[in-house]
Amino acid sequence: MPDLSPRKAGIVACSCEELAEGTVTRLAALKVLHALRPQDTVTICLPLFLAGGQGDRAFARFHPTITVDGCELRCAARATEMHSGKPAVSLVVSELLAARGMDKPEGRRRLNEAGRRAVEVLAEVLAAEVDKVLGRRGRLATTHGAEPQSRGQAACSCGSGIPVTVLSIAGQPVELVALPLVLQQFREAGRQPDEILARELLDAVKVYNLIPPQLEAVYRQAILAEYAASLEQEAAK
Amino acid sequence: MSEPAHTHAVVVIPCSGIGKSFGTVSREAAYQLCENLCPDQARLVALSKLVLGEGEARQAVAANPTVTIDGCKRMCAAKVVRESGGTVVCERTVLEVFRRHKDLKPEGIAELNEAGLKLARVMAEEIAETVMRINAAKEGGHA
Repeated sequence: MPDLSPRKAGIVACSCEELAEGTVTRLAALKVLHALRPQDTVTICLPLFLAGGQGDRAFARFHPTITVDGCELRCAARATEMHSGKPAVSLVVSELLAARGMDKPEGRRRLNEAGRRAVEVLAEVLAAEVDKVLGRRGRLATTHGAEPQSRGQAACSCGSGIPVTVLSIAGQPVELVALPLVLQQFREAGRQPDEILARELLDAVKVYNLIPPQLEAVYRQAILAEYAASLEQEAAK
Repeated sequence: MSEPAHTHAVVVIPCSGIGKSFGTVSREAAYQLCENLCPDQARLVALSKLVLGEGEARQAVAANPTVTIDGCKRMCAAKVVRESGGTVVCERTVLEVFRRHKDLKPEGIAELNEAGLKLARVMAEEIAETVMRINAAKEGGHA
């Protein structure tokens, strides 16, 4: 997979409003996003996989994603796989607490003490999983023993999303997720537009987009033309 | 024989917003509505279940009038309910209520400030009137 941006782990919480465990997922995710790993994580609201656009649905293909569910229904994990991409890691609060012999949380609106403890434990587990998927083993994940990362803007993908370019393919407008980042990467490598580059560009674009095999040649030429145009735009700046 | 509970209640679906205070307000308004103001007339259903396509949640929105409370302009709750075959009888956004109550600026995501809680209360009270009207009309229709 091409390295298109500073790599971040995606966190998708089920955020279930019906169960205290759903509140635990949301608060633990926020703790990791805001305090424990603010520079390494990004999130998206689960419903955007249905209600959003192509850029939103590319989330789990773009970021190695950790889903956090409250119960065995596993809405976040299953819906992420169904609408976006297979999660790198799936955590379930009820299973995690049972495995550790911890009490079931209560209070979906205001967590009880067991719920607050569950948030702390889940946040530590989540932070450790973030480090693993980003290949940063060895960093202390604990909220007690380690300094949190410097606080940054909590990264929410709503409204910013992954950049999308619309190209005309066989006379039809087609959205290509992450194309601006792909082009930028090759521009920065100083590549000139030729047939070898066209194949490499297509391979990179296919990581994030479904391209019908019978249209690959058309896509290849359209993407190469877009690359040449982007070179001209850069040169004119 | 009594009917299943879901045939009587208005279904309330807040957005699952996690990145902004407005999402927290939508959730808090839904809790105030379903737990405090209309506990016998409004039933909360998790949006995540509809995103998954879970059967009971889909049935609930298909069989009952649904109120959606969205935090931001992306309107996830309203869109997902419609995609799931539900009928949105009342579609509200936190932003719209905030525009009328600019003194109640919500802050905090994990925990709302006092103004955010008040904004949620105002929103819940407004929606409660709609819920009661809907249920009264339903009962009138059955009479």
